[in-house]
Amino acid sequence: MNEHEQTSEPILQGEALRKVYPDGEVEALRGVSIEVAPGESVAVVGPSGCGKTTLLHLLGGLDEPTSGKVFHRGRLLSEIDRDQYRAREIGFVFQSFHLLPTLSALENVQVPMFETDWPPRERAERAASLIEQVGMAHRRNHIPSRLSVGERQRIAIARALANEPSVLLADEPTGNLDSRKQAEILELLEGFRQSRGLTLLIVTHSAEVAAAADRIVRMRDGLVEAE
Amino acid sequence: MRFTTLILRNLFRRRARTLLTAAGLAVAIAAVLDLVGVAWNFDRAFTSLYQGKGIDIIVARAGVANQLSSALDQKLGERLGRIPGVKAVAASMVDVVGFEQANIAGALINGWESGSLLFRGTHVLEGRMFHPGERNVAMLGRVLALNLGKKVGDEIDVAGEPFQVVAIHESDSLFESGGLIVPLASLQYLMGREGQVTGFVIQAEPSDPKSVSGLQRRIEEEIPGVAATQARDQIARDMQLRLAKLMAWATTALAVLLGSVGVLNTMLMTVFERTGEIGVLRALGWKRRRVMTMILGESLCLGLLGTILGMILAVVGMRLILLEPTARGFIEPNIPAPVLGMGLLVGFALSILGGVYPAIRAAALDPSEALRHE
Repeated sequence: MNEHEQTSEPILQGEALRKVYPDGEVEALRGVSIEVAPGESVAVVGPSGCGKTTLLHLLGGLDEPTSGKVFHRGRLLSEIDRDQYRAREIGFVFQSFHLLPTLSALENVQVPMFETDWPPRERAERAASLIEQVGMAHRRNHIPSRLSVGERQRIAIARALANEPSVLLADEPTGNLDSRKQAEILELLEGFRQSRGLTLLIVTHSAEVAAAADRIVRMRDGLVEAE
Repeated sequence: MRFTTLILRNLFRRRARTLLTAAGLAVAIAAVLDLVGVAWNFDRAFTSLYQGKGIDIIVARAGVANQLSSALDQKLGERLGRIPGVKAVAASMVDVVGFEQANIAGALINGWESGSLLFRGTHVLEGRMFHPGERNVAMLGRVLALNLGKKVGDEIDVAGEPFQVVAIHESDSLFESGGLIVPLASLQYLMGREGQVTGFVIQAEPSDPKSVSGLQRRIEEEIPGVAATQARDQIARDMQLRLAKLMAWATTALAVLLGSVGVLNTMLMTVFERTGEIGVLRALGWKRRRVMTMILGESLCLGLLGTILGMILAVVGMRLILLEPTARGFIEPNIPAPVLGMGLLVGFALSILGGVYPAIRAAALDPSEALRHE
């Protein structure tokens, strides 16, 4: 664990999480409990369809559990503004990057900042600083289609950090990258964790990515199999 | 980056679709602007025709839908002049004549007596007024003179009779500027209606609405078979003007409906295509309200683009209408500012109508489910 680690209270906690999708046929989670300490990096691994992404969505406030509770810094998520929670406390990184195709790298990083009070100039300055931190200053004015997949993921990471979140949730962040790019992205994420005291929760199939985390949570059939 | 930048970039992501939708809107807006513009100018021309001359009452044969088909004995003018409350009376004959050589299908021809109160608001630009007893002389309206290519001293053929142009005049009303004025006796002879007029105009004394209403009743009581109409009601009752207005408003309603459906279709397709992207925006913390504002903003920009194109098209359309001989002298070639303002409002209305449902739909998307669309 890093220097920012605190052991008193988990920053993120899922309690007996159960998720049944509206069609009633798929029970994605069947009572998952998880605790993540501040500054910790946790890898969630398991076969496809075991409920990893669903867990990530519930912890990130993208979806509500059918039953069970999610807490952030001890506060029940269902009792707070989930949009505000996602905007201020959570940064999402996706496997397919999901950058807006018509916006430049610099503009993409500013997209989450619309929910803040920062004026346009400050948004641009902050975005430029983040792009520099991910080593993409020379490509800041390029649209995503002009960037390599590794470069796109760097921009997506800068975007996830735009509003200075406390937790970064990454869904297969290196799934589309070769081993060299994967190592670069992991190094980048680890660097941000160290420098910003970020908490990292990474869903992955990759043994290398999982091995780089402080802790590994193994899932199978909607349940935590082992930690 | 400003929020509007994002909206504009989204709008032009699919340029062809955006431009085609805007073109559809432009046609609808142009139709509205041209038709309402024509009706508006008609109304204004009618209003200035009577009000600019201080005319309070128009007397015509009872039961006729159009003043052109009215026929009254010219001698009724003396009886009308004796009715208490009447300050001045003027006999008038009005008809429509064509000038085939100049490709003008119809121009208003007014038969007035020399010195008539009807000459108020008529400004002689060149030449002179005709004198009492003078025959076969004509005062051409400025627009008609331009269309005919005639000047003072020239001769024109009116319904087979030669008339000498003695003046070019300008009037507050386009109907008069686009037509001609001849002595009443000449027009009566020309139309084979000696001793007849199509109506009388009356200036009341004093001109207050109550006394005018009273005078209107007295005229109809004392002279059976005539209809006395207040000038402002004459404008409201004119069948052609009412039809023009009705058509204009019907077209507006249709344009708003069709335009809204066009915007609705485009914006719904946009939302369907960008479901995953909307999920990402929600994941990044965007509130439902911001997603809704973005889609409505795109819809409004689309509407604005269509409206601007529509305004340009309307001006071009108006010029094209004026190539039609029938329209010359009857239609002013401009679209009044209030009508352009109304066009903007129509554009705004159809953008909102077409954009609100897709915006609500986009805002209602569940972020987790929307992300699974990618």
